[in-house]
Amino acid sequence: MQEPDLHDLSDDADYAASLQQGSASMMMTRSDSGKSTSSSVPEGAEVVYLKDNVTIHPTQYASERISGRLKLIKQGSSLFMTWIPYKGQITNASLSERDRSLYTIRAVPFTDVRSIRRYTRTLGWQYIIVVLSSGLAFPSLYFYNGGVKEFLATIKQHVFIARSLEDANVFLVNDFQNPFQRTLSSLELPVSIASRPSASVSDGGEYSSYELQGRIDGSIHEDIPRPSQNHGRQKHKSHDPARDLTIQVLEKFSLVTKFARDTSSQLFRESNSNGYGAIERKSSSHSPPDIPHEASMDAKVAPGEGPVPSDPLEFDKMTLVWGKPRQPPLGSEEWEIFLDSEGRIIDSKALKKRIFYGGVEHSTCKEVWPLLLGYHAYDSTYAEREYLKSTKKSEYEIVKQQWQSISTEQAKRFTKFRERKGRIDKDVVRTDRTLSFYEGDDNANVNILRDILLTYSFYNFDLGYCQGMSDLLSPILFVMEDESEAFWCFVALMARLGPNFNRDQNGMHSQLFALSKLVELLDSPLHNYFKQNDCLNYFFCFRWVLIQFKREFEYKKTMRLWEVLWTHYLSEHLHLYVCVAILKRYRNKIMGEHMDFDTLLKFTNELSGHIDLDSILRDAEALCICAGENGAACIPPGTPPSLPIENENALLYTQEEDEVL
Amino acid sequence: MDMSRRALLKVIVLGDIGVGKTSLMNQYVYKKFSQQYKSTIGADFVTKELQIDDKLVTLQIWDTAGQERFQSLGSAFYRGADCCVLVYDVNIQKSFETLNNWHEEFVKQAADPADPGAFPFILFGNKIDVDGGSSRVVSEKKAREWCASRGDIPYFETSAKEGYNVHEAFLCVAKMALEGEHEHEQEHEQEHDIYFQGISETVSEVEQRGGCAC
Repeated sequence: MQEPDLHDLSDDADYAASLQQGSASMMMTRSDSGKSTSSSVPEGAEVVYLKDNVTIHPTQYASERISGRLKLIKQGSSLFMTWIPYKGQITNASLSERDRSLYTIRAVPFTDVRSIRRYTRTLGWQYIIVVLSSGLAFPSLYFYNGGVKEFLATIKQHVFIARSLEDANVFLVNDFQNPFQRTLSSLELPVSIASRPSASVSDGGEYSSYELQGRIDGSIHEDIPRPSQNHGRQKHKSHDPARDLTIQVLEKFSLVTKFARDTSSQLFRESNSNGYGAIERKSSSHSPPDIPHEASMDAKVAPGEGPVPSDPLEFDKMTLVWGKPRQPPLGSEEWEIFLDSEGRIIDSKALKKRIFYGGVEHSTCKEVWPLLLGYHAYDSTYAEREYLKSTKKSEYEIVKQQWQSISTEQAKRFTKFRERKGRIDKDVVRTDRTLSFYEGDDNANVNILRDILLTYSFYNFDLGYCQGMSDLLSPILFVMEDESEAFWCFVALMARLGPNFNRDQNGMHSQLFALSKLVELLDSPLHNYFKQNDCLNYFFCFRWVLIQFKREFEYKKTMRLWEVLWTHYLSEHLHLYVCVAILKRYRNKIMGEHMDFDTLLKFTNELSGHIDLDSILRDAEALCICAGENGAACIPPGTPPSLPIENENALLYTQEEDEVL
Repeated sequence: MDMSRRALLKVIVLGDIGVGKTSLMNQYVYKKFSQQYKSTIGADFVTKELQIDDKLVTLQIWDTAGQERFQSLGSAFYRGADCCVLVYDVNIQKSFETLNNWHEEFVKQAADPADPGAFPFILFGNKIDVDGGSSRVVSEKKAREWCASRGDIPYFETSAKEGYNVHEAFLCVAKMALEGEHEHEQEHEQEHDIYFQGISETVSEVEQRGGCAC
């Protein structure tokens, strides 16, 4: 077996010095260069578990996977976990030192761990996701050589660990109390994960010095924090990977924005050619790009408000270049062009691209949505789709029969059924009732909504019904106008969004965490503002993410947005970039008015109905393109709405035999 | 009148799905009732300014999702609460039974662990208007017994639809919250002079129709 060089020890030591995790973790990561791996463990500490070839998948590309060694270390009564990537792996030639360092897990004490979710499968690798009590999660750790069971069993020997009653694959660590306290603590995100000097927004509203410098200098590049600048860098003797990554990205952006500025200036000079729709957007609220930098920055500060740290991306200019103008929706005639004579989609990528930029006309949705959702295959023929429709109809009826056959007498002894039905009854009568399709007393469509949801709660009994599902189903039934077809489209959608409704809220937490990383990448002053104001849990975006902005836009606009999201054209997680785009639109208001968490929540809730979809989509597209792989790296594999890795979604909600506990 | 300080009182409304949490708040703050409220996703709050004795207070009333699955999220919003309103539907037994759960969970995570009994709770039995009371399954006696067993929690029977007792109930909430309120007092700010003009609500306007012992 190969014995790779395991430790970048100097890095560990520096990192430990920058943390304030107490003496125990300091000792664990103390520099011991030159000694063998085992002797790098401090006195009194013992490696109780060691597994090689535990790997993370920062992106979908196999070449970018990072393998390392996972260890459990016992010191006194404390248990720590480390995962150190191998150095100089041939397969990871492209892996930079920075990436390696970024993902390293350095002596995390189990007192900081909230839960471990295990994913085991008959095919493919087992992996785990470790969630900290702060709500942060490490990337999925894939056990290429197996060993998840032993890993958990070892932990069990040293730490109180309990299997979640709600999900047999979730193991709760230190769960002495109750879910309340765990979540309460998630409000206090640790400083260690993003420990880098902040562009502070002090109450006096002063620019931090590097921003001031940028203003005086007038150069875009100077707005960007550089490693050479001297803000608390003394503490970080080597480098802080998170910071360096951001810097690199921002530098990339600064080139982009320079390009954007040149391009848009050119557009202004060529008065008539408005290929990017630049002029109307420019003239609305922002100064023309030809005006010197200082002036355009001042224009962003509303009178009476304190100055706000400027957007490192010069976002408004950037979107002009990278976000393409929206197109009219795909109509039935154009739709035909995408089909061969038997109804197969000739070029599904082209179709997705077309829909990404324009959506679908209502009359064509019924044919397109089942494809976008994955209920029908792109290479299926008309005949195959018709056949599937009929077989699926009988399958639906069978599942529906399961609850329809429950008699009143039986229901009296079936609490779970009564409760589920009660919840669904309560929710369907308050779902989109102002829409004519669902309007009025004894509306038949409301009853169908109820029947589908109840049937789904039997089809996926473990997940059941959860508030928000009726919001997701409503437009689908409205479009499909058929109970069985709507059901199967909903099933396909829930294959992706089901984790949003998991009892442990892991699906939501992982998305909100990814969102926080994206904001950190794409607007670090805003990130710092959220950090200083205890807003890093991003719960003010909870509704946006849970039901895909259903409550934020009017009905037809929501459907347009969903079509765009469902193409997965640029990213499966475009919805997170939409969140970033909205937040960036209002960043100056949020920071200028010093919104605290409560005010911010109220503010985002009240944005409902006031967001311009087309421009936000364009912004989101620009952000997604510019963030590129670094953006993708903020989003761990398996984050909803990605399909579960290896596509074994059948196992997602199943409760397995108790193996460990 | 003492205008030099104003209090921000944070109130959390808890209870099962569809017992009328949002409706009660909207009736109280906007004097409106709609059959078509949407289910609450995540959390939201409304505020109302009122005057109690010589004190101006801002009541910040938090609405949360009613499904237990979101309880862990809701708790993130409970920080700094001054009072907790529990709501059940007098026509649904289950919504009464789960009060124990809501009460217990809230105490566990928000109340002072040294003296959990001291945290101010209040119970609303809502929807007493339905079918003229003939579909009612939880009697007032039963509800009051439950309140007594939890340390004499004040109890109000309400109808968000009819607006019955809603005002009185929330006034009691405000008074209870104010009594225990120490930490949220804020220095009076100039602009609030104008904001509070014309607010004529006083305690004397509504005298105890319910069970408020404040």
